[in-house]
Amino acid sequence: MADNSVDYSALMRQALEGDAQAYATLLNETSRMLRPYLVNRLFSGNEVDDVLQEILISIHKARHTYDGTRPYKPWAYAIAKFRLQDHLRSHYANNLQDAEDIDEFENILSDNVTESEFSYEAISGAVDKLPEKQATILRMMHQEGYTAKEVAEKIGMNESAVKVAAHRAYKVLREKLER
Amino acid sequence: MGNIEQLVATLSKDAAPVKPAPHPYILSVKWLAIASSYLIVSFAISGFRPDLANALQNPWFVAELVLLFVLFITAAIAAAVLSFPDMHQKRHMAYGPLWVGGVFVLMILFAWRADSPSTPLPMHSLACTLSIALFSLPPFVATFYALRKLASTHLRLTSSIAVLFAFSTGAIWERLHEQNDSIIHVIEWHYLPIMVLAMLALWLGKKLLKW
Repeated sequence: MADNSVDYSALMRQALEGDAQAYATLLNETSRMLRPYLVNRLFSGNEVDDVLQEILISIHKARHTYDGTRPYKPWAYAIAKFRLQDHLRSHYANNLQDAEDIDEFENILSDNVTESEFSYEAISGAVDKLPEKQATILRMMHQEGYTAKEVAEKIGMNESAVKVAAHRAYKVLREKLER
Repeated sequence: MGNIEQLVATLSKDAAPVKPAPHPYILSVKWLAIASSYLIVSFAISGFRPDLANALQNPWFVAELVLLFVLFITAAIAAAVLSFPDMHQKRHMAYGPLWVGGVFVLMILFAWRADSPSTPLPMHSLACTLSIALFSLPPFVATFYALRKLASTHLRLTSSIAVLFAFSTGAIWERLHEQNDSIIHVIEWHYLPIMVLAMLALWLGKKLLKW
């Protein structure tokens, strides 16, 4: 959680004067302040880190637009919101390209995705060729024995998203194995 | 987390003293002063319309000029405010030109209604649009150059308002230079093209002001 006693404006004023220590403290405190905001809006821990990095770089690039006389938080949140929207826009644009009908997923969300009709050992080579996220999910479910809920907790996704990713992975594997 | 710490270390190493950008009001006054000087020099070279004294007897022409100047000023302030990520915490100033634009459109519609019988159309048409565009080009380039040095988080709106500012300079010049009282011509060849360009800027804003 962000520390309410931190005087962000004062730190930024010092940073603008060239104080590297104050600047490092400010950036660390800012990332602490923004992390919960991003965690509530993004799907995985990796994504949170990626967007947080983009935000910190943007804060660095735009620091001359802050003069230290007005509150710091609205300024930092405006940049955070801007970069988050950018990220979500490109995320959804990419997802839209390989979008599938939602009806298809309504049927699978209640399925037990840890049980499939093929053994993991027989297809582990094909699993390695899947996109990294799908391969990780299948490995955790079939090699390490986690449930979808446990995988979701471990990799910072929600359970439905894990099930959908697993379902997609099965579909790709089935197509490959039937060829 | 490790990546964040590494990034913070890298960025803080680059913590050289930075001069904060001027206050948006100072910035807009600077832009307005430059644009006004440009207008004054242009009028000194090209001259005002010969019937200006007569035209100023027409209340609709005076209202149009006043609103055009108000749009010119509010657009400069709004563009400057919008060029800060948090709008310099003056959100209300950012939307000023939209209100002025609305009043301007209403005023033009009333002026059109009052233009009865219609004033004859001038012989030229596209020439006006081209001369407004050419006249507005230097303020357009200068404004976008200045905006790209700042950090807007409302790229589309900022770009559109900046176009309104640059092209209102051209519209003022054209209105005070061209001897023409046909409101239909003014709507069709002066203001509609500016509105189209402002729309185009909404669309292109993300590319033009990306940072």
